[in-house]
Amino acid sequence: MIQVEGLTKIFNDKKRGRVVAVNNLKFNCRKGQVFGLLGPNGAGKTTTLRILATMILPTKGKIMVNGLDVVEEPREVRKQIGFLSSETGLYDRFTPRETVEFFGRINGMEDKIIKKRTTEIFHNLDMENFQDVRVNKLSTGMKQKLSIARSIIHNPPVLILDEPTVGLDIITAKTVVEYVKSFRDQGKCIIYSTHIMREAEKLCDTIAIIHQSNLIAQGTLEELKKNSSSDDLEEIFFELIDQGENSE
Amino acid sequence: MSWKNIRLIFIKELVGTIRDKRTIIAMIIIPLIFFPLLFAGIGYFSKVGSIKSEEADSKIIIHGAKFSPQLVKHLQDYEKIEVLIIEDDSPSKLHNGDIQAVLVIPQDFIYKIEQEEPIKLILKYDTTEAKSRIAKQRINQVIEKYKGEILLQRLSRLDLQEEFLTPLILQEENMATAEKMTGSFLAVLLPYLIIILIFTGAMHTAVDITAGEKERGTIATLLVSQISRLEIVLGKCFAVMLISFISMVLGLIGLTLAFLSGASIAGGVEGVQFGISISTVFLLFLVLFPLVGLASAVLVMVGIFARNIREASSYITPIYMLTIFLGIISISQGMELTGKMFLVPVLNSSFVFKELLMGKIYWSHIMTTFSANIIIAGIALFGATRLFGKEEVLFRS
Repeated sequence: MIQVEGLTKIFNDKKRGRVVAVNNLKFNCRKGQVFGLLGPNGAGKTTTLRILATMILPTKGKIMVNGLDVVEEPREVRKQIGFLSSETGLYDRFTPRETVEFFGRINGMEDKIIKKRTTEIFHNLDMENFQDVRVNKLSTGMKQKLSIARSIIHNPPVLILDEPTVGLDIITAKTVVEYVKSFRDQGKCIIYSTHIMREAEKLCDTIAIIHQSNLIAQGTLEELKKNSSSDDLEEIFFELIDQGENSE
Repeated sequence: MSWKNIRLIFIKELVGTIRDKRTIIAMIIIPLIFFPLLFAGIGYFSKVGSIKSEEADSKIIIHGAKFSPQLVKHLQDYEKIEVLIIEDDSPSKLHNGDIQAVLVIPQDFIYKIEQEEPIKLILKYDTTEAKSRIAKQRINQVIEKYKGEILLQRLSRLDLQEEFLTPLILQEENMATAEKMTGSFLAVLLPYLIIILIFTGAMHTAVDITAGEKERGTIATLLVSQISRLEIVLGKCFAVMLISFISMVLGLIGLTLAFLSGASIAGGVEGVQFGISISTVFLLFLVLFPLVGLASAVLVMVGIFARNIREASSYITPIYMLTIFLGIISISQGMELTGKMFLVPVLNSSFVFKELLMGKIYWSHIMTTFSANIIIAGIALFGATRLFGKEEVLFRS
């Protein structure tokens, strides 16, 4: 469903000069799979996901989402994806119902279908009791549910989730992880970035470790364990980083 | 480009703005309630103050009273003047407000009257004090009356009539129409007010829906939708235009109410009859719309460029100062613009407003202003769209 080949992004920063944010990434993600991008802050996870979501253009490489090229057909690609990041905010002066309906409309859906989908999503995410309360009155957990509802209103086959549990308390974070599992079970293709090892261990079918803009390892948790002296993902992670730095 | 998508963004921004308490305070409460109350209060207190000053007796000191008993008697006979005859000419009493004026009569008063030479009287007063100004007026009236009596005596000694002093009489007739009277009255301040109201009305919304969206992280959610970046910018810009226009209209209504309430309490406005023709109103709007578009597009462009609301506000401050400066130029009486100056945005609109309010319709000025502002608004809008397409601007941190 998602094929990334040779993805490179170079920024020209006024102060730092030429910055390679992502260097020659290659990975695939299938339907019904959670693909984890694991790496510390600044590794290049957000840049990769922004490119997949057509928000920014790659410098080099070919990226296909459900058979569509992100550079050639960005609008069509956007129909295929739901995007959620720790940075994506909500409109404080709207209610959850208004928010989700608005995002349905700007994703080109018909009002009748929006109404049906909204009712369905609010029921599934247990949001019915606060659907008409303004967002600024909602708790963090309620807001995160709304962010999820907003990103899946158009029923996209691909979900791009950029550190969706950052800043959440453990109960809300657990709820988010549970929803991601249920979306996987529904057959969606999910790209999930995180720097929390436990989350990656529990959730991701395939894990790609990014460090300093490079993809240093990729595989299932079992495969990663097999190539390492440790059983613990955190220790595997540090081992790989050390190897990467020594080989430089 | 789809109008349906532009409308979606436009409505979303309008609803968000209307639900913002700050907008309601700035758009409705301040102009429609606060301004009229403020002006009514100012009118009331200035009326009370002036009544008090008018009613009070003016205490004056006459220095050298013995040199002209007749003038002193005239002053004493005036109902509202209380004369204190003190030979001490110290200004301290005037400064601490115990007395309102000092009149100094020279020693040679009677000699000069007899010699028919001009006499120099000195009147000391404090122009910053209302009571002192009133004392000055009252003394002036008495002196004018006394001067008239002296003149009549001199004329009769020469066996001449009073008419001898008025060989010519100039009768003035004001030919200005009611429309022009209103116009000249309004033309002084109205263009400036319109410009300031348009900019202040647009400012808050423009920043909130551009830099504010970046700050709150909602912009990314729009970028991954089916709406193009051009449609987003146009929807936002149209929303700012409408808000700016409504703020201006409400601001003008509020200021009119404020002016009328303040003026009616303070004693009414003389010589002003409100009468503006429909064609003038139409032309005013023709000049107004490109200006609203220009203000909105420029402010949206700045808002898109800025990282956050604070940065946007600091970029907008110099633009706002420049607008005020251009507006102030238009207030200056006697200032005329030459052909090319009508290409300068803001300045051109305020001068055309001024001309229209005075009943002067110069099509070349109207069309130059209209086209110049439309073109600059278009350039700003194009710039805003380009900036919105630049990832280094959208994702600057």
